[in-house]
Amino acid sequence: MALAQAALPRDVTLRGWLLDAAAWTGPSGILPSLVDTLVLSAAVIVTAILLAVPSAAVLAHLGRARVSSAWVVNIGRAVPTFALAALLVPVSLRAGYGFEPWPIFIALTLMALPPIYLGTYTSVEGVDRAAVDAARAIGLRRREILLRVELPLASNVIFTGIRVAAVQVVATEPIRAFLGGDGLGRYVRDGLGQRNDTLLIGGAALVASLAGMVAILLTWLQRVLEPAGVRRMRPSTSIDQGVPVPPSEVATVGKWSQPSGRAMPEPDRTSGRFAPNL
Amino acid sequence: MTNRNPLIRWDYVVTQRPAISAALVEHLQLTVLTVLIGSLIAAVLASVALRWHRTRQPIGAGTAALYTIPSVAFFGLLVPSTGLTRMTALIPLVAYTLVVLVNAIIDGFDQVPPEVEAAAEAMGLSRIRRVLGVRLPLAVPVIVSGLRVATVTTVGLVTLAAIVGQGGLGRLILDGLRRAFWTPLVVGALLSILLALILDALFVLLERRLAPWAKRRTKGGRRQVARP
Repeated sequence: MALAQAALPRDVTLRGWLLDAAAWTGPSGILPSLVDTLVLSAAVIVTAILLAVPSAAVLAHLGRARVSSAWVVNIGRAVPTFALAALLVPVSLRAGYGFEPWPIFIALTLMALPPIYLGTYTSVEGVDRAAVDAARAIGLRRREILLRVELPLASNVIFTGIRVAAVQVVATEPIRAFLGGDGLGRYVRDGLGQRNDTLLIGGAALVASLAGMVAILLTWLQRVLEPAGVRRMRPSTSIDQGVPVPPSEVATVGKWSQPSGRAMPEPDRTSGRFAPNL
Repeated sequence: MTNRNPLIRWDYVVTQRPAISAALVEHLQLTVLTVLIGSLIAAVLASVALRWHRTRQPIGAGTAALYTIPSVAFFGLLVPSTGLTRMTALIPLVAYTLVVLVNAIIDGFDQVPPEVEAAAEAMGLSRIRRVLGVRLPLAVPVIVSGLRVATVTTVGLVTLAAIVGQGGLGRLILDGLRRAFWTPLVVGALLSILLALILDALFVLLERRLAPWAKRRTKGGRRQVARP
């Protein structure tokens, strides 16, 4: 594993490093590493959305697979991401795909699927029956009901699932640096390896602030993107109100089968509880 | 020519069996310790939140914020102060369990029907007996499902604690990666995945035993949502 280590003299201070233009732009600099992390994370999220949203929406529309999807989601959440990615490394090498990035890509995608799938499934299923009946009464076909009534009404909760998954992916992607890759986690790795606290703390701060910024950005985006018609239907504009499933109930198959539909009192209670992150 | 580095070399597994089982035991110890400490802290936080309604929002937001700290950053940030010790592994691990456990306890108590509480009060039970004798037992199934998520998550995160020199099976994984020798990597990874799945299954069984009615409810629930 030929890794360009971020070499940093020991006497450089944290401020000295983070304020040095060369530290940002060089070949093992912060900006390329940041781009690395963002590109991989984006690819993971797009893949997970493409896999999870259509399948969950269709299955929920048909009212099928509720128990089996709960099982799949629970098993998906139980598998440790780091161990899975590590396990895939020799497999990927033998198949001729190299150390990177497939193992981490696959492991992160599996991590991103459950919250997105769950958000889509429960919200499409939880759409007000009256709205669906009305749509049917005015002559919409099933496909139109799904695409023009159920999905828009569910969109906010679907986005919550995507947001939760995205934040987790960005927060977990740095483990890639310990699996033969780079990305923003490299400074923590090199700081640990070289016993250089500047790199370590600076790297950890970079990783943490990226995750924080992504969380804030997506929360804002969610507010902006919410369909105006859907927003009008709700009494409050608070983002997470009306999430159909209290996430602690998500953990159990039996409980999940009975979405209680009560509004959630605090704005962001879902975020931590959809899936384990690493 | 025989392959010197297959995915798994059984002779290595046999000779290294003591080291492997030691790693497994360490992994389990860290997991159990984390969930125990996490439960204690969560119990205190949840009690405060249930008793004083105003503290709910800050407690919820605080534990959620802890959870969003990326694990690599959390472990890394502690190294300069606590070194490569078990403490460095435990602090983030415990912090990550809080959001799940606190909310599970709060939800568990919240979902107890108010009529039950009213009936207990009418029967003249003291406040402590109402909480410990009536509401707690009814909250247990939800709390256990929280414990399940916390435990399984922790098994995965303990693996990552290897980057700060802890973390049982995770050390086998990193060792395998460093030497590009697949046997310890595959053994460590497979065992931690298995451990997570087995613990998950054990908790499912426990949940069933604690709340046998939940299963019956499932069937009713399914009928309820059947679509025309």
